[in-house]
Amino acid sequence: MNKTKKNIFLITLLILLSVIGIIIISIGVSMSKKNDAADHGTLTVVTSFYPMYIAALNITERADINLSNLSEPQTGCLHDYQLTTEDMKLLSEADVFIINGGGMEEFLDGVISDYPNLKIVDASQGIDKVEDNAHMWMSIADYMKQVNNIANGLSAIDNANADIYRDNAAVYNSKLEELKGMIPDTYRGSKVVLFSEAYEYLARDLSMEVETVLDLDEEKNISAKEVAETVDVIKQRNIPLIISEKQYGEKMAEIVKNDTGVKVVYLDTIIRGNYDKDSYINAMRSNIELLREAASWK
Amino acid sequence: MNEFLSLFSYDFMINALLAVLLIGPLFALLGTMIVMKKMAFFSDALGHSAFTGVAVGVILGITSTEISMIGFAVIFALILNHIKKRNPDNVDTIISVFASVATALGLCVLSFGGNFSEYSSLLVGDILSISKKEILYLLIIFIATIVFICFAINWLNAISINATVARSHNIKVQLIEDIFAVIIAITVMLSIRWVGLLLVNALLILPAASSRNISENMREYVGYSVVFSLFSGLLGLFVSYFINIATGPVIVIVAAIIYFATYIYGGRS
Repeated sequence: MNKTKKNIFLITLLILLSVIGIIIISIGVSMSKKNDAADHGTLTVVTSFYPMYIAALNITERADINLSNLSEPQTGCLHDYQLTTEDMKLLSEADVFIINGGGMEEFLDGVISDYPNLKIVDASQGIDKVEDNAHMWMSIADYMKQVNNIANGLSAIDNANADIYRDNAAVYNSKLEELKGMIPDTYRGSKVVLFSEAYEYLARDLSMEVETVLDLDEEKNISAKEVAETVDVIKQRNIPLIISEKQYGEKMAEIVKNDTGVKVVYLDTIIRGNYDKDSYINAMRSNIELLREAASWK
Repeated sequence: MNEFLSLFSYDFMINALLAVLLIGPLFALLGTMIVMKKMAFFSDALGHSAFTGVAVGVILGITSTEISMIGFAVIFALILNHIKKRNPDNVDTIISVFASVATALGLCVLSFGGNFSEYSSLLVGDILSISKKEILYLLIIFIATIVFICFAINWLNAISINATVARSHNIKVQLIEDIFAVIIAITVMLSIRWVGLLLVNALLILPAASSRNISENMREYVGYSVVFSLFSGLLGLFVSYFINIATGPVIVIVAAIIYFATYIYGGRS
């Protein structure tokens, strides 16, 4: 093999690949530029995921800050979520990072320590946790506490806008209070099986007795034994209702329903949705309506 | 150009860049030896033992699973090496059995309670979350590898050509093969979190395999392999940064393009 010929081939190959790379990069850069257009203002606030973003969106209304959310996980829950380069950029530019807390953002433990200047606002401070469960936003009462925690955290960091944050939080919480008033009382003391630990907080708001929690939230493989046990529990204890998530729980819920005739309600766990500021309220309202409907079949 | 330079204003990108600069040559060097000794399947099996390594760590309650991963991989590599030696005729079957057992054992423990998704980051890896401390570990193993290869490259070469002749020249075949297996084990385990179990072997094998397509002597073989590895690492990192996709797969794709190009070129002349 001719040596110079080989070197020419190699250099051409590497240059060609670099050129292709640069073309791809410049396309990428020109696309991302459009997204960065609205980047101005003083404080940059990043939220860890959807319910925190919606809360922060309401609290920071009219305040001159940048608010963004980490990109949404495509999978069921946050636990197995991986940060994208976009997220790492967001975090390294952020001043404040609002997290749900309670262990929900475990995936970030290693990352946060890389940004010692990032101020963390933990929304779950002082909230009475159900065991290891961190889905507090699913209880309207706890979500209201989270709203207050976020508003207080932001006020302490950004004094100039403290009044705005507190006023906004009060307005948002009054809407949530109204929503809380819509929670039906018909379920008090009634037994329920949950197909996601997220609903434990909702069940607490409803004063229901939770018999079993099956966490179908993550892409979990359910064993035949678990299905059989669930069916047995429902039959033996005469449980009238299952609350399940549509995406991951439906298969299992339909199996159990066919076997036992139990009622199934599919509710939103509000971990994703549109970025409208009333979307939490809308999602929770439709949850409550579904529960009211289910109660009326009793 | 400014946009391009902007990426160096992020600590995580500098860390990732350092990691690529270390992993690249390290993988290239080990890869040349692995390809030469026809151990591609061996290193792949080692990658799979990471499942059991993590599982052992979980059972023992060790918080940093790296220790259990490395410990298990070293033991796994040594046992595999010795059993392989006794049955030289069906090495690929033995490795396959070992890899399957390690994967199955690991999956059994990790899926207990249905929590496997917690560990799915092992499969894909994330080079952007690498920290300074972990880069230091890579640097240490990198230096160890270079020292080992400087001493042992000719021995390794001799062993891979003919182990019996090598032994008759007073080369400590078993010892050198064991050290080599341990180095591969530690390197693979340290890198799995950054490049992912599914792709770690591709990064080990592709640069060396590409280099083998066109090189005529040992120096070219190692040299080209390092160049290919560094090139695909850097290009993959930059491209993945700007178009916002996972880094490992992009690096592998670049390395694969180089492989096919050299394959065609090598076959033509």
